[in-house]
Amino acid sequence: MKMAINVLQALILILGAPLARGVIGKLKAWIQRRQGASIWRPYADLAKLFRKEDLVPPSASWVFRCAPIVLLGATIAVAAFVPVVQPSALLASWGDFFLLVYLLALGRFFLSLGALDGGSAFGGMGASREALVSTLAEAPFLLGLVAVSILAAHADIAGMVTWTLHQNFFNVSAVHILAFTSLAMVVLAETGRMPVDNPTTHLELTMIHEGMVLEYSGPSLALIEWASAIKLHALLALLIALFGPWGMASSGSVEAIGLALLLYCTKAAVLMLLLAVIESGVAKLRMYLVPDFLGVASAVSALAVIFTMLVKR
Amino acid sequence: MYQGGKKAGGEEFTVQLVSIDRAFIFLLAALGLFAPILLLAGRTKRARGLAIALIVAANVVGCSVAALCFWRESHSLLDFSRITPFSFVLEIDKLSALFLLLICTVGVPVAIFAVSYFNRHYPEERRNWMWTFFSLFLLSMVVVVTASTGFAFLAGWELMTLLSAGLILMEGDSVERRHNVFIYLLMMHAGAAAVVAGFFLFLPYSHTLDFLAIRTASAGLPAGIRTAIFLLAFMGFGTKAGIIPLHLWLPRAHPIAPSPVSALMSGVMLKTAVYGFVRFAFDFLAGGPSWFGYLVLLAGAVSGLLGVLYAIAEHDLKRLLAYHSVENIGIIYLGLGTSLLFASHQAPLWASLALIAALLHTFNHALFKSLLFLGAGAISNATHTIDLEELGGLQQRMPITGTTFLIGCCSIVGLPLFNGFISEWLTFRSFLAGFVLTNSKAQIVLPLMVGVLALIGGLAAACFVKVFGVAFLGRPRSAEAEHAVEAPVSMRAGMTILAAACLLIGILPGLLLHPLASLGQALFPGAGVPEETLIIARVIPWIAAIILGVVVTTVLLKRTQRMVPTWGCGLPQLTSRMQYTSTVFSKPIRFVFSAVYRPDRKIERLPAGQPYFPTSISYSSVRTTSYEKALYRPFVDLIVSAAHQLRRLQTGNIQVYLLYIFLTLVALLAFLRFQK
Repeated sequence: MKMAINVLQALILILGAPLARGVIGKLKAWIQRRQGASIWRPYADLAKLFRKEDLVPPSASWVFRCAPIVLLGATIAVAAFVPVVQPSALLASWGDFFLLVYLLALGRFFLSLGALDGGSAFGGMGASREALVSTLAEAPFLLGLVAVSILAAHADIAGMVTWTLHQNFFNVSAVHILAFTSLAMVVLAETGRMPVDNPTTHLELTMIHEGMVLEYSGPSLALIEWASAIKLHALLALLIALFGPWGMASSGSVEAIGLALLLYCTKAAVLMLLLAVIESGVAKLRMYLVPDFLGVASAVSALAVIFTMLVKR
Repeated sequence: MYQGGKKAGGEEFTVQLVSIDRAFIFLLAALGLFAPILLLAGRTKRARGLAIALIVAANVVGCSVAALCFWRESHSLLDFSRITPFSFVLEIDKLSALFLLLICTVGVPVAIFAVSYFNRHYPEERRNWMWTFFSLFLLSMVVVVTASTGFAFLAGWELMTLLSAGLILMEGDSVERRHNVFIYLLMMHAGAAAVVAGFFLFLPYSHTLDFLAIRTASAGLPAGIRTAIFLLAFMGFGTKAGIIPLHLWLPRAHPIAPSPVSALMSGVMLKTAVYGFVRFAFDFLAGGPSWFGYLVLLAGAVSGLLGVLYAIAEHDLKRLLAYHSVENIGIIYLGLGTSLLFASHQAPLWASLALIAALLHTFNHALFKSLLFLGAGAISNATHTIDLEELGGLQQRMPITGTTFLIGCCSIVGLPLFNGFISEWLTFRSFLAGFVLTNSKAQIVLPLMVGVLALIGGLAAACFVKVFGVAFLGRPRSAEAEHAVEAPVSMRAGMTILAAACLLIGILPGLLLHPLASLGQALFPGAGVPEETLIIARVIPWIAAIILGVVVTTVLLKRTQRMVPTWGCGLPQLTSRMQYTSTVFSKPIRFVFSAVYRPDRKIERLPAGQPYFPTSISYSSVRTTSYEKALYRPFVDLIVSAAHQLRRLQTGNIQVYLLYIFLTLVALLAFLRFQK
């Protein structure tokens, strides 16, 4: 039963990812007083792209064609780490957050190579900027997770979530607040959202992620879009699981799972609303202000680690 | 090679030991005697072929000897004291077996690669000398890691330096090259002097330089002597390993060596320094106060960060790889420092975990760094340049070289499913375990080190996206790259073996982790098998299965593909000059970390009178490393001025020299008289 729920969780993260994107888009549209597209539109987009043909530049090698596939594979593996409705996941009791972060790095590494394989200036531009952002995002990402893991005295994600689940919400420590702040900032940078990157831009002066995928089309583009949707969804789910897991099902009964799923959707909706508010209210940072943004995240996460010393265990 | 029975006991075990000794003697004799004699006396093509076959065979035998000693509890001891003036004993224990395995595993593919590399790059008469030095260089490293007396160790150590310098000089002869080799030799001998002094400090207590005697004597050493020995070993081996700021020779010597030799120097020779340091710090001294650990940790962090930052600014492929060696030595030292720190806090289990991480990274680095240097050799063989700005589009022209090079890149960056990840992950986990040390500074320092290693890893990823993307992907940036052809078969074979080894360890890390765990138990009595080594061995195959499943499913789905030119913003055609170059790619990172580089930029616009419509713009940006000057200049000045003072003694007058001799004699007689 537990195994079946684990598989279900992975499927929620993987198949529900386009929906999460659609919801964010809708929320943004409401905040901006627009009608907005249907929340199911990302699925239609993916279906459309999958039916099209793949356009490949003549200079491209197998790296160009394989990059989206490796990216999707690594992102799906990440989804197998993240608990959604119960404090465990397919690989969560073995896999720790270092693996999770480095799987994301694996996908990003191949996507950057694919971008350079197109042989245009835009690919290089996107890859070079992505290299800067991801280089600086890695340290606060890991340090924020280290702080939580020290409190929980567990390195595996299941252990960390279970520990938080047994804490009282109102006893939450400063470490949690600091770690959440830094991780939320990192998630914005990692998933290419405002104020680090603008997911809707197609202007060469501003684009990072879009610059990298400019040469991709058809099914390859669909794989990339799907993978980045899964990444966003999985990281949001990770934030929920680490900092607000209360309500997760402790037994395998259908009611408990249903309730946990409902609670998860509510929590996810709150985070998405937050994201939509930030995206609508904040301007994109200049490229060379991004290191400052991530520098703040690094400092906050280092503080979180230092403060773990003061917490009584 | 007799493999022995399943049970390591009784008569069978003796047979196995005897045959291990014989195989080990064969390894030494083949590399040290037969191959050089064949090469220097034979002077025919067939003799050379035979000698090369002998070198490869010796390495294969060496692998199996090391594997037997490493995976099973065998060991081997050869005593040559009767035929040497000092006591010369070679012994393979578990630690030696690991490093012997490393040398021989890298030795086989590098020798195979060198067959066509030497054939293409050197005239007939020089090839035999190259191979002789190559063989002896391998032998010297084997002696270093298996020596069990100080004399044998130092003899191997010195030979290793001289032979590698010889190999560099054989590549060519120019003032610059000689200057670089001079710096190499100078720093190596300063380091060797520190190592010798470290050995001699043991002497009053152990009476001989046998490792066994040193080990037993070290428990009774006064604290001051222990500290002195530790610092001497740290400096001496640190010079060879290339920790910053003792790395000056490394980016000078490695790039100018022939590629197979760079592969051996960077992949294997640096590791003998790690071996020496582990031997001294962990085996002889068995740890020490916690500041030993902090010192090594600091050296590792500085080397790791600065090494990768310098690497990213390079566009000469071999210099870039040399700086990455500094970075990886930094990662290894981070693990060693963590281990010392845990050992000083009486946490043998975690100390063992950190040491396993460091030793595994040592092994992994040997594999992927020699793979990358061989790749650089294959590139220079095909295009006659290793300047990244002149390359591009090689993946289509050299598919095997490109694919193996990509595996090397993924490994050095530490991406999951490749071997570098396993050791970096273990290092991360040993940092994380620091929080168990309550009531100690290490409780905070170690977890914060996660951030440092993450930054190093991120920068390395950026650097290798640049290297592979600029050299192998996109369009060729020069005519040479445009007309490059795939490397010959022996080069491809060498690189493929190393790439396969990287993948094997990356997906099935348990192979090496189990024996490493028992090595950890041997060095830290009371340490069990760290749980982490089991976890990673269990989870990685699952992740590999998931990713492979996705890849297979997506590849099987039918997709129609059409070749269309890259979008050129309405221009008729994109040229290769419109691509991002290596320098531009790293610009954002260099800009953010400009405090580290202190670049000296010059922009010249010509003609001078027209700032808005220049006919040519030249730009140069040179990294100024102020600390090198600040650290080394006073020292060099001191030596030079002392030499000037001493020159007064050298008058050129024979009577004065006779007076010196007479005075020395009187002084010695007086010394003898008063000593009684």
